[in-house]
Amino acid sequence: MTPLFDYDENREAASAAKVRALEALLIKKGVLGSDSVDAVLSHFETVAGPFNGARIVARAWLDSDYKRRLLEDTPKAIAELHFPGMDGAEGEHMKAVANSESVHNLVICTLCSCYPWPVLGLPPYWYKDPVFRARGVREPRAVLREFGVPISAEKEVKIWDSSAQIRWFVIPERPANSEHLNEAQLAALITPEAMMGVALVPAPPAA
Amino acid sequence: MKLQHYIGGLENLGPVNFEKKVFVAKWEKRIFGIHTVMMAESTHLAHALPKYPIAQVPTTFKETWTWASLRTGAEGMQPFEYFKYRYYEKWLMGISQFFVDRGYVAAEELAKLTEHYRANPDAPLPERPNPILKEQVVKYLNRGDSGLRAPVAPVRFAVGDTVYVADPEAADHTRLPGFLRNKKGTVTEVYPGAFEYFVSTGPDGLAGPQHVYCVSFDASDIWGADKCEPHTVIYADLFDVYLKPAH
Repeated sequence: MTPLFDYDENREAASAAKVRALEALLIKKGVLGSDSVDAVLSHFETVAGPFNGARIVARAWLDSDYKRRLLEDTPKAIAELHFPGMDGAEGEHMKAVANSESVHNLVICTLCSCYPWPVLGLPPYWYKDPVFRARGVREPRAVLREFGVPISAEKEVKIWDSSAQIRWFVIPERPANSEHLNEAQLAALITPEAMMGVALVPAPPAA
Repeated sequence: MKLQHYIGGLENLGPVNFEKKVFVAKWEKRIFGIHTVMMAESTHLAHALPKYPIAQVPTTFKETWTWASLRTGAEGMQPFEYFKYRYYEKWLMGISQFFVDRGYVAAEELAKLTEHYRANPDAPLPERPNPILKEQVVKYLNRGDSGLRAPVAPVRFAVGDTVYVADPEAADHTRLPGFLRNKKGTVTEVYPGAFEYFVSTGPDGLAGPQHVYCVSFDASDIWGADKCEPHTVIYADLFDVYLKPAH
């Protein structure tokens, strides 16, 4: 039997034990501290995450001048909000693009998994799946239909394949019947999927 | 032609798995964390933008470890193996092999301790905090590692120029999506400054600071008018070496 068919009967338990053994050895050998990995994980719970992107988009919806600045110079407009870490790892050079009545934007990374960490946190599984990375550039409307987002043939689809320094994100369209909502209430409607262009922001329940 | 470079455009793959979780198994968090700490204590950060006082950080890790390390490993896998494993499974394989190859960890001790944790999944990790390293990790995450550099060559293309994508040798690692090779596009933006990728990619062409252009491609110029959806434009950020003038 070649190694190609050499599956562990419980691959998750095997990986869980291996990663724990690796971390333990690296701590023992001084490559990591026992608090190093937790420091990384806590950054993505408190500092970098889709909660930032949602607030940036909500602000853009409420203030068309801010939206213009965000599209013109994304890092500068984000800096106005004084969130920490916004030009940190995987966000050194970010750019926003806006959906409209005539354009739908979709962000993808066909070579790996480039993603704007400071504003969106870490990429969800679907973004890293080779099937999305393969089909998203070839049949975006078919993929979007599967995600529950019908895009007419007349609407232009723009696909942003990230492979150099820019990390892209999408300003989705503001939903109908959301005039009564404040910034925090609007932000609560906005998902990472909407900011990558594979979801629309649903209209809020009637007030 | 390496399959990992040509994922964009593959057909007959069935529906996308719309799993929204970042980590689909709990253990995946730990390998993500280990990789990110390695990037945060990589020796190259002493000369990065911004510069970090990495020599003063108490760690036995004396290596350059960047996204390029992980990507080169994934692109070097036998392609059928590549598609057999999940994203973080590939990270775990690549990173543990790196520590074995570089002599930080012996394969036997890793195998033996893995068996121990397999039998005792709740056995604790050693307790040895490293506050200075922790501070460096937090700094790195908040300040990043930008490739922005002063340009060393003139800008070759302007917005509106028609360009063709080069077709360099299939190297160990590339930042050129395969489906764009030899295709015709239009420059839509010339990014200010130049950008240096983490490593040289040898015959693929990345080395030193280069201008980066945003180039748009009509989907019909890539897939053929009868084989693509209408009104679809693909934008890609491409390093200078990947572009050729139209004439």
